[in-house]
Amino acid sequence: MSTNERILPKGVSETDFDAALDRFRETLGAEQVLIDSDRLAPYSKIMMAGDRDDYIPSAAVLPTSTEEVQAIVRVCNEYRIPIWTISTGKNLGYGSAAPGETGQVILDLHRMNRILDVDPDVCTALLEPGVTYQQLYDYIKENDLKLWLDPPAPSAIAGPVGNTLDRGVGYTPYGEHFMFQCGMEVVLANGEVVRTGMGGIENSSSWQVFKWGYGPYIDGLFTQSNYGIVTKMGLWLMPEPPAYRPFLIQYQNPEDIEEIVEVLRPLRIAQIIPNAVVIVHTLWDAGTHVTRKEYYDGSDSIPREAIERIKADEGIGEWNVYAALYGTPEQIEVNWKIVEQAFGASGKAKIMYGEEAEKRGGGFSYRSALMKGDMNLQEFGLYNWRGGGGSMWFAPVSQAKGSETKDQTELAQRILGKYGFDYVAEYIVGWRDMHHVIDLLYNREDPEETQRAHDCFAELIDEFAKRGYGLYRTNTEFMEQVAGTFGEPLREVHRTLKRALDPNGILSPGKSGIRL
Amino acid sequence: MHNTTIAPCRRFSSLGCTTLAMIGALMLPTAAAAEPEEREPAEVYRQICSHCHASEYAVGPATITMAVPEAGREAWAEHIRGVVRNGRAAMPAFREAKISDAELDALAEALARGDFAESAEEE
Ligand SMILES: Cc1cc2nc3c(=O)[nH]c(=O)nc-3n(C[C@H](O)[C@H](O)[C@H](O)COP(=O)(O)OP(=O)(O)OC[C@H]3O[C@@H](n4cnc5c(N)ncnc54)[C@H](O)[C@@H]3O)c2cc1C
Repeated sequence: MSTNERILPKGVSETDFDAALDRFRETLGAEQVLIDSDRLAPYSKIMMAGDRDDYIPSAAVLPTSTEEVQAIVRVCNEYRIPIWTISTGKNLGYGSAAPGETGQVILDLHRMNRILDVDPDVCTALLEPGVTYQQLYDYIKENDLKLWLDPPAPSAIAGPVGNTLDRGVGYTPYGEHFMFQCGMEVVLANGEVVRTGMGGIENSSSWQVFKWGYGPYIDGLFTQSNYGIVTKMGLWLMPEPPAYRPFLIQYQNPEDIEEIVEVLRPLRIAQIIPNAVVIVHTLWDAGTHVTRKEYYDGSDSIPREAIERIKADEGIGEWNVYAALYGTPEQIEVNWKIVEQAFGASGKAKIMYGEEAEKRGGGFSYRSALMKGDMNLQEFGLYNWRGGGGSMWFAPVSQAKGSETKDQTELAQRILGKYGFDYVAEYIVGWRDMHHVIDLLYNREDPEETQRAHDCFAELIDEFAKRGYGLYRTNTEFMEQVAGTFGEPLREVHRTLKRALDPNGILSPGKSGIRL
Repeated sequence: MHNTTIAPCRRFSSLGCTTLAMIGALMLPTAAAAEPEEREPAEVYRQICSHCHASEYAVGPATITMAVPEAGREAWAEHIRGVVRNGRAAMPAFREAKISDAELDALAEALARGDFAESAEEE
C-alpha cells in the first residue's frame, strides 16, 4: 500500500469522510485532527505477527475533554465512521496503538491526562485515560502522599486506565487491576454519558469507594469490549506499608514447577503472601539482561544444554519465584518464618532476600521495584534476547495447581519448539488462578520468521483450547480466533449487547472479536 | 485548569499541588482542558527515555546521550526524531499526543548536544 494513497474507513465515501473530518476540526481545532501519513506513522507500529498494512488508521483525533468525545461520537454515528479508542496506547505485544483494522480512526485520549482527585484518606484516585503511571507516581511523591501504585512492567510509559480496561496485571497485592477499579464515566455510542457505581447520584461522595452501586453491575461491560469510551476511572491505591520484604526462591529442575505451585497456593489464598507472585523461567529471567547469541546462535529453539549453561553462569534457577511480604516488621517476621518452613520442607529450594538475593543473577532489583510499584522498564530487555522487535504475549489462564502448570509448560515448550521459538515465560499467580504469560519473541524484520510466529501463535491458541485452557487477553491479530474458543453462545450475548449499545457499530469494531 | 498535572507541581510547593487537585475535583463536571504545558527536554528524558537508555539499565543503547560534533547535530537530531516517531525494532513509537512536536525538537537538540551524557561517558 503506497503511503500517498488515501485510506478511507470501510464503506465510507470520500465526501462523507471529508465532511466528518471537517466536523472533527470544528470541534477539536484543526491541529487535533491528524491525517498526514507522517503524523499517523506512530500509530501503525506493531510488534505482533501481522501485516503492518492491515493496521493503518485513516486519521487520529485527539480530544481533551468528555464533551469533545461526545461530539466526536455523534459525528461518527452520523457518517458511520469506525473509531478505535486508546488511552496511553502502550498495549505493546497486544496491538500497541494501532487500530483493530485498517481504515479505523484512532480516538487517542492521551491528551485527557488530568489527575482529577487523589484522596490519601480512603486511598483512591480519579483519573482521565491519558494519565500515565509515571505522572501519577510523580504526583504522589511531590505531594508526599504515602500511597503505592500497582503498575504493569511497562510502568513509566503506560497508564492505569488503558491497562485496567484491558484487564492487565501488576505485582503488588493490588495486582489484579480490574478488582481495584471503582467507578467509571463512560461515553456511549449515542453520545450520552453514564457514570457507573455510585456516580449517577449527583454529588455522591462514594463514587470511588463503593464499586457496586445500584442495579446490575455494568463496569465489566466496558473492559476488553467495544461498548463505550471510558473518560474517567476511579481506582484504589495501596497505603504504603511500614515494612516491605521482597524475596527470591530458586528451584533448579523443570519438574519443580509442580512443587512450587503446590506450596504457594495455600500461602496465596490465605494471604500470607499477599502480592501477585511470579514464577519466572530461566530464559525470561536471563532474557531481561542477557542476549541469546551469547549462548546459542541457531535459529531453532534454544537447546537444553544452553539453558543449563545460562543457569550456571548467570546464577539463575530453572524457576525463580519473586514475591514479597508487606506489613509491620513483626508481621513480616512471622510470615517469613511460615514462608521459609513451607518452601524449605523438601530441601530443593534456595530461599533468599536482601543482599543475598541482590547478588544472585536475574531480575531481583527490577522485580523488587515493581512489587512496590516503582517505575522502570527493565523488562524491555527481553527484546534484546532475540532482537528484531517481534513480541506477542500468549497468556492462557490456569488453576493454581501444580499438575496443571506442569502440563501447560510441557505443551507450550513442545509447540514453540516445533516452530523454532524459545519458551520465554513466567506464571503470574493471581489468587487461585495463574496467568501463564509466554512472550513469543521473534524477529519482525524477517518475513519468514514473522509468518512462523503467526502460525505458532495460532496453533498455541487451538491446542491450549482443546485441553480446556483459554486466554485472558490477546492481540488484535488473533481476537477473532480467541473469541471462537469461548463458544458461540457467549459470542451471541456479546453481539446482542453490541447491537443494543452501538447499533451503527462505530466503536472499536473487532475488539475481542465483537462486531455487529 | 491545568492539563498536565505534573508540570505545575514541579514548580510549586506541595501545598500548591494539593490545591490544584482540589480544584480538579470541584470542577469535575465541566473541567475544560487548557493547552498542554510544554515539558523541558530533561523532564521528557527522565519520564520516558531514561528508563531504557540510562547506562545502568542497558535496555536501549546508552549512546543516544553522547554529544555529537557540532557539524553533525542537525542530522542526528533528525534521526532521533524519526526513531521516536516511528519506533525501531524493540523501540516503541511515541506519538505527538505523548511527546509534542515542540518537545521532541527540543529533546532531539538536547540529546545531540550531549546534555544528558553521563559523566562516565564524558570522561
Ligand atoms: C516488556 C513488556 C512487559 C509487559 N508487562 C505487562 C504486565 O506486567 N502487565 C500487563 O498487564 N501488561 C504488560 N504488558 C502489556 C502492555 O504493555 C500493558 O498492559 C500496558 O499497560 C497497556 O497499555 P496502556 O496502558 O497504554 O493501554 P492502552 O493501549 O491505552 O489501552 C489498552 C486497550 O484498552 C482499550 N481501551 C483503552 N482505553 C480505553 C478507553 N478509554 N475506553 C475504552 N477502551 C479503552 C483499547 O482496546 C486498548 O487497545 C507488557 C508489555 C511489554 C512490552
